[in-house]
Amino acid sequence: MAEGAGDAGLGPGAGPAPAPEDAELEAVIGATVPTGFEQTAAEEVQEKLGSASRISRDRGKIYFAVPARSLPQVHRLRSVDNLFVVVQEFKDYQFKENKEHALKDLEDLVKKLPWTNPLKVWELNNSLKKKKTKRKKHNLQSPVSKEKLNDGGEEGGADQKDTNDQEDCAQNIAGGEPADSPDTEQPQGVAAQNSGEEEDNEQLDAKDEVQASSGGGAKSGDGQTAEGEGKVLKFRVTCNRAGDKHSFTSNEAARDFGGAVQEHFQWKADMTNFDVEVLLNIHSNEMVVGIALTEESLHRRNITHFGPTTLRSTLAYGMLRLCDPQPTDIIVDPMCGTGAIPIEGAAEWPGCYHIAGDNNPQAVKRAANNICSLLRKNESKDSSPAPGVPLDIIQWDICNLPLRTGSVDIVVTDMPFGKRIGSKKKNWDLYPACLMEMGRICTPGTGRAVLLTQDKKCFAKALSRVGHIWRRAQTVWVNVGGLHAAVYLLRRTWDRAEERRPCCVFMLSTWHLWLFRDEGTGDGLLVNQQELFVAAPNVTKADITLPVFTLKERCLQVVRSLVSPTDYRRLDIVRSLHEELEDRPDIWKDLERLSLERSEALRNGILE
Amino acid sequence: MGHPSELPPEPVPDYEGDEEFLRRVHHVLLEVEVLEGSLQCPDSGRRFPISRGIPNLLLSEDEA
Repeated sequence: MAEGAGDAGLGPGAGPAPAPEDAELEAVIGATVPTGFEQTAAEEVQEKLGSASRISRDRGKIYFAVPARSLPQVHRLRSVDNLFVVVQEFKDYQFKENKEHALKDLEDLVKKLPWTNPLKVWELNNSLKKKKTKRKKHNLQSPVSKEKLNDGGEEGGADQKDTNDQEDCAQNIAGGEPADSPDTEQPQGVAAQNSGEEEDNEQLDAKDEVQASSGGGAKSGDGQTAEGEGKVLKFRVTCNRAGDKHSFTSNEAARDFGGAVQEHFQWKADMTNFDVEVLLNIHSNEMVVGIALTEESLHRRNITHFGPTTLRSTLAYGMLRLCDPQPTDIIVDPMCGTGAIPIEGAAEWPGCYHIAGDNNPQAVKRAANNICSLLRKNESKDSSPAPGVPLDIIQWDICNLPLRTGSVDIVVTDMPFGKRIGSKKKNWDLYPACLMEMGRICTPGTGRAVLLTQDKKCFAKALSRVGHIWRRAQTVWVNVGGLHAAVYLLRRTWDRAEERRPCCVFMLSTWHLWLFRDEGTGDGLLVNQQELFVAAPNVTKADITLPVFTLKERCLQVVRSLVSPTDYRRLDIVRSLHEELEDRPDIWKDLERLSLERSEALRNGILE
Repeated sequence: MGHPSELPPEPVPDYEGDEEFLRRVHHVLLEVEVLEGSLQCPDSGRRFPISRGIPNLLLSEDEA
């Protein structure tokens, strides 16, 4: 539908501002989500908005249709980073091979696109945003539409008003300033792209700056308030291009498309202070033209105090969803860092109890500050004291968790990658130890873990050693800060940390001392929790169990089972470990030791 | 800790049904936040400090 420059849908006062029936407009919304979690996001959309989503070939994007009045709920989705309204989608656009022709096609496209409805959606969206941001918008809202939309609509949470990283929770913070958070991961507005495809992103305004004509002011209706009325809309075009068959760069596409947009609408081009952000997403032959509905990524929403490796809230949400938390579940993040995951958890699954811990005092402090910010945010809505949040933080050691065996339902964490924190070498020791300890605290059978790591090789090795405790259920390949990482969903087996073997009945010769050994490996077993057993008449049971081996001993056992003794010395490990490997369990040595211990004890009168 | 008189030293039999008792336990467990103090291990007696609401349960080198 061709639109003239004086399009009624745009100007501040050309006719009444968005009419009530516009709320019934169906908007096709595009959302960028962390790559790999498209399915999770689609589930959230289905659950909260009742709409089915389409996942595009362009990874990290999903599309769904909703009535425009659902915009507030759309903003509250926790798995999406950015939102835009689709102007038009081209499933199979034939780009001309000649660069000039291809670009000319794009320019010609502008006046053919159905801008009206998407722009109405954009206006509706602005009236939602106006409440949150300090920046003045050029559009005006009539009292009617504002009420209609803001009724029950809360802030999408895109902005955290608290700053002062160093400030302690205990003090009061005079709120107000928009947070200027250091973005340690991807720059905003740029979709995460994997390598292997030629791609570039550019944001450009039009080649020629056209003077904002005062004619724009004359178009506006009368009787509106004075705010920004005479101004013309400012815009910019952002182009993301991926695929290797295009004859033009995203730079060029943005430039020429932008030029045509400017011609068509008589808007003013402005890179930084724009009202309308037009998106041109090209992925091979798929092209989508859209208008942005979010200014900055929603993904930083809960975090005000950053650490060096703070996880995106949207990624944290995706990970939590993956483990399907049930009400009353205990969810633990034993390496919480700044607390992104447990905070997201407590906000979205308040029926669960969340426990966060880290050994690093800075991390613990930052996490505590982030929790305080969350509490303050909840508090500001009404004057009554804020209810607490089902979340606690502790300083602890992942290898010695102060939690009872089998007491936790879900473990979810971002494991150190060994790049920005820790090291690859440390991971070789850390990962198996973590998996063991997490296995211990997790409820056998029903427990699950969701673990994010970039060190996939180390993780796979560590996992293969603990097959009796953890089974891999699902893997999601993701991109975190430019690194290719994976999220593993693991299920806890029914094996208990201390295994009990079924009892057999033996006729034991009396008054002997007995000890028990694993037939295959010669590892020691316990009987009635002791090393030695006396078949006295009053003793009716002999429970033979595995001792809880130290991690080290367990590792030695596993290595011995995989490597032939002649090859021990060929393993690339510390010399002392070679010796320890060779020091296999030996029944004669144990007998000697035990008899020594016994005579010692008798001498000291300990035994009766 | 501030509520010595309200809670019995041991859980009474059938405590699941005793609403008054449950309320008091709920209060102590979930509504009271210790800001400064310590946690004591029932087995070893070792005390772990709590500072600004955060307990530090790290063991020293020789304890681990």
